[in-house]
Amino acid sequence: MTRVLAYCAFLNRPGISLPEHGLGGAVLNEIAQNGLRVLWSEVEWPFDSSALQRHAVEFHKVVSHMFSHGAVVPFRLLSVFDDKQALTDFVSTHQADFVEDLKRLQNLVQMECVLYFKPQAPVNSSGADYLHRKAELLRGSEAFVVEVRKALSTLSHGLRTRESKNGSRIFVLVERGNEHKFHSIVHNLPVPEKLFRRISGPWPPAEFLSESVKAPNIAGQK
Amino acid sequence: MGHGRLIPLCPMQNDFEPVVLDGASDQDVSLLDILDHVLNAGVVVHGSLVLSLAGVDLIYVGLNVVLTSVETALRTLRAEEKKRELQ
Repeated sequence: MTRVLAYCAFLNRPGISLPEHGLGGAVLNEIAQNGLRVLWSEVEWPFDSSALQRHAVEFHKVVSHMFSHGAVVPFRLLSVFDDKQALTDFVSTHQADFVEDLKRLQNLVQMECVLYFKPQAPVNSSGADYLHRKAELLRGSEAFVVEVRKALSTLSHGLRTRESKNGSRIFVLVERGNEHKFHSIVHNLPVPEKLFRRISGPWPPAEFLSESVKAPNIAGQK
Repeated sequence: MGHGRLIPLCPMQNDFEPVVLDGASDQDVSLLDILDHVLNAGVVVHGSLVLSLAGVDLIYVGLNVVLTSVETALRTLRAEEKKRELQ
C-alpha cells in the first residue's frame, strides 16, 4: 500500500532549489498554501525495517537540503498520511502555527552537545559504591551544563537540556553563521573527569518548536 | 568535511562515525545522529506513532506492529557496526 510521507515545511522564498528526488528515488512533490510549502513523496508502507538506515539517510538529505536554504520544520520519518488530501487538510489546519514557528526560528539553528559517561560494571565494589560513582558523574554533568549556559550567554537564543540515564543533552539555538563560535566555546570548556562530550549541528531547531507544531491535534484521523 | 558518497560505518571512540553525504552538506554527522533526529525530532502525525512511555520513545510501525524502542534500535545498530568492524 502507498502512503504520503511528508519531509519538511518551509516558508516560500525566491531562489530555493529542491532536491532532485526523495526517499528511494521517489518523486518529490509539494503543497503550497499562503507562503508555506511542504515537501512530500508517495512511499510504499510500511517500510521494510531492513531499509530503515538507508531511508533515514535519504530522508535526512532532503531535509538538510532545504535546511541549507533556511528554517524548516521537519516531520518525523515514520509519520505518514493516508493520501495527498489528508496532507493538504493537515497543512490547511495547521498552516498558521507552522508559519509562526518558521518566522520565529527563521535565522536560527540548533546546536547540540551531548555529555555522557560510559556505563561501568561494578568490579569488586558494592552497589552503594556504584551508585555513589554514578551520582558523582551526574553532578559533574549538571555542573557542565551550568558552565555551558554561562559561556553561551551572549550567543544563545535559547537553551534546553534533557537528562538521560548516561548524562545530559544540551540543545542551543544560535544564529545561523555562529555554529563555529558555538563549537569553539563548548569545545574549550573543560569536561569533568570520566565524562565525554560530543558536539553536533547545525540541525533544524526541532527542540524549540511550539507544542502545537510538534504534536498537532489531528482529531478525526486514524 | 568533503563531499562524496555514503561511506560504510564503523564505530569510533564514542560509537559515532561521520557519514559523508552527497551534495552540499558540510555537517560532520553520524548515522546514529541521523537516526536519532529523523525518528525523534520534528512533527509527529498519525499513521506511525511515536509514543513516549516512562521517558522512552516507542516506535509503532504501521500495520506490522513492530514495537521497539529507539534506544534498543540504536543499541542493535551499534552492535552490528562493531561486528562489521571485526570482520
